[in-house]
Amino acid sequence: MILQSLAKYYDRLADEGVVVPEGFKQVGIPFLLFLNQKGEFTGLQDTRTQSGKKLVARTFVVPEERERSGSRAWQTANLLWDHYGYVLAWPKSNTEKDKEMAKKQHRTFLAEVKKLNDKYPDDKEIGAVYRFLSTEDFSAVFSHPLWRECAKIPGCKLTFCIEGLNCLVCENENVKAFISSTISQVSDNEDAENTLPDTESVCLITGERGPVARLHPRTPILGTKSNAKIVSFQKNMGFDSYGKQQSYNAPVSKKTAFAYTTALNQMLARDSRQKLLVGDGTIVFWAEKKSVLEDVFADIFGEPAKENPEQINQGIRTLFEAPKSGAPPLDEDYTRFYVLGLAPNVARIAIRFWYQGTVGELAKNIKQHFDDCNIAHGPKESQHLSIFRLLVSTAMQGESKNIQPNLTGDMMKSILSGTPYPKTLLSSVIRRIRAEREITYPRASLIKAVLVRDARYYKKNGKEVGMSLDHANTNHGYLLGRLFAVLERAQERANPGIDATIRDRFYGAASCTPVIAFPHLLKLKNHHIAKLENKGEAVNLEKQIGEIMEKVVDFPPHLGLHDQSKFAIGYYHQRQDFFRKRD
Amino acid sequence: MPKNRSRSIRLKVWGQNACFTRPEMKVERVSYDVMTPSAARGVLEAILWKPAICWRITQVDVLKPIQWESVRRNEVGAVASTDLAITAMKNNRGNLCLYVEDERQQRAGLILRDVVYTIHAYFEITEKAGPEDSITKFEEMFLRRAEKGQCFNTPYLGCREFSAGFEPIRDEASLPEPADVTRDLGWMLYDMDFTAKEPTARFFHASLEKGVLKVPPHDSKEVRG
Repeated sequence: MILQSLAKYYDRLADEGVVVPEGFKQVGIPFLLFLNQKGEFTGLQDTRTQSGKKLVARTFVVPEERERSGSRAWQTANLLWDHYGYVLAWPKSNTEKDKEMAKKQHRTFLAEVKKLNDKYPDDKEIGAVYRFLSTEDFSAVFSHPLWRECAKIPGCKLTFCIEGLNCLVCENENVKAFISSTISQVSDNEDAENTLPDTESVCLITGERGPVARLHPRTPILGTKSNAKIVSFQKNMGFDSYGKQQSYNAPVSKKTAFAYTTALNQMLARDSRQKLLVGDGTIVFWAEKKSVLEDVFADIFGEPAKENPEQINQGIRTLFEAPKSGAPPLDEDYTRFYVLGLAPNVARIAIRFWYQGTVGELAKNIKQHFDDCNIAHGPKESQHLSIFRLLVSTAMQGESKNIQPNLTGDMMKSILSGTPYPKTLLSSVIRRIRAEREITYPRASLIKAVLVRDARYYKKNGKEVGMSLDHANTNHGYLLGRLFAVLERAQERANPGIDATIRDRFYGAASCTPVIAFPHLLKLKNHHIAKLENKGEAVNLEKQIGEIMEKVVDFPPHLGLHDQSKFAIGYYHQRQDFFRKRD
Repeated sequence: MPKNRSRSIRLKVWGQNACFTRPEMKVERVSYDVMTPSAARGVLEAILWKPAICWRITQVDVLKPIQWESVRRNEVGAVASTDLAITAMKNNRGNLCLYVEDERQQRAGLILRDVVYTIHAYFEITEKAGPEDSITKFEEMFLRRAEKGQCFNTPYLGCREFSAGFEPIRDEASLPEPADVTRDLGWMLYDMDFTAKEPTARFFHASLEKGVLKVPPHDSKEVRG
């Protein structure tokens, strides 16, 4: 289903004109060689523009790059574009060896253009290029003022443009026709060693018969080597079956292999808005048809950019406000939506999770997640937290690489499908709280979300936790948390400016084994309250303690994980209540 | 009913996990959503198989909603060498071991969780049957073995490590209700065709209608290979 949906997405992209047709590729070419109709050199143009600190070349649609490597690399040249060694026999350096190499490269390049010229003798553009190249005299180019810039770039790519015309020579009709006709004949990109004839088989994605791809094109993601693929079988490593080798183990036609990898690479491209980096993996997502969810997904789940911290809130608002154009509300949108989670494994890509549903379901589930996470917070904190911030609060030292490996994928999956959060989430948060003795806003938010969702999913009858302080909650974990917060407050007020409160010393003991910690703390609080100068405040604190202790029956010897979480929430709610502006 | 075909047999199988590995994602395993006819045949053959019979699957019912689980497991990256085995056979001694520490590889898997299926199938008598082999004989043998839990090897759901429990369903009335899942499953592996020159994979277009996956007959045009 995964590859099939990707292949269908390619069809949608091709219809929208976003992807290049088969046999072509988008490559950045920094310099253009301008020729006139007669094939004489007229000028050099720099296509680079400033992007941040670097100069980035403009991308053009050119015939696909041919794979070459090793000592025989000079025998393979790209058609009508390549680096200056091939195009102009300009050597990499001034050594004899490099000069020879450049000459050999140039000869191959010339031969390729000759083939094209012989096929289309009437095409003026191709003819002009051929004439230019066969003169073998490029001094005009080298004396051009911009040449030094060009020569500075190692392996600078060049292509041709005829003066007066807007597009490159490689974009003209005859070249396109030539490429399409040679697609099936030219061997696969990396298939230099393939000496077997093409086998025909039923493609397992489309069900059509066709030549089978021996190797699929690469689709690297962050964290893998550059030749990583989803479908790959190393030879002789125990992955082959029934005597088949490499991708013949899973017959996919060449056309479909190209389609699904191009669609995937399109989404994995550098500036793509359809991918998210979460933890060590990458998540890509797409819809059957153009949908607002595709644009907003990255805002909601991604890490907000520094320039736009309100990104998440805007994203959520866009998602849930009824569109003014009269289109049906998102809840009822039946467009299919797909989310694919990928994880790197050296040169392979593993599928972490795969979700397919409708835009409507997904919008509902996302909204549910944010409702679950909603908890009282300080005025400067953002209303909604991104997944990244929630997860990073469970990691040691707040580093994303310390997030537990499967947690990100599992959490994304549970948000998208509306199922309970992974059990490890709760234990990770509690562990972090115990270690750092601090209940931050993201951690409290997570705990509340887990408890609320569990209660709803498993239809437990216990009281859920609310968004802010709940005076009527009688769960003993919650009450003890509140008590702890009040006792800490008493200490803080009695010793203003104190660095280490009872929270640093006693949080662990108080939340796990209350019977040991609380009697001692209650004894201490008497001293703290006696130290308070403002008698009114002393009375208030005693009143609050009294109110809580009323409901506490006794101090249990041990609190389980759920009650520890309620302890954390109770503590957090009470603290927030102290700092809430009284209106 | 043609003479060499048994009546329809139904078997309920269940397991904690299952992985009907997709051929294209065999290295980092991703399972098909539903049991493949090939895996169903494997379960039946584990309970009873003789050269005289050949199992054909007609239908698979999905009894629980489809749930996934993502795991990472340590496996090895090599197979036992046939050459070494042959040499060992000839010389009556040899070294066939595989050092796991040297070959260890971690592979991720997206597998199914908590699965229950009802397999509908029948078997045919092949030409290797002897004079005393009759259809009723094998039908009764199968039902007896399934009832008792007898098998040649523990039936498994896709991969050997996911053992399956099984139980025959003797009458129509106690057929369990399939889960209400309707979706298109794309092209699914039907089975391997071992009669061709090389084992070739055959595929069919699968779709779940209210939890029922109908499997086309092995010689129909819908099965492409």
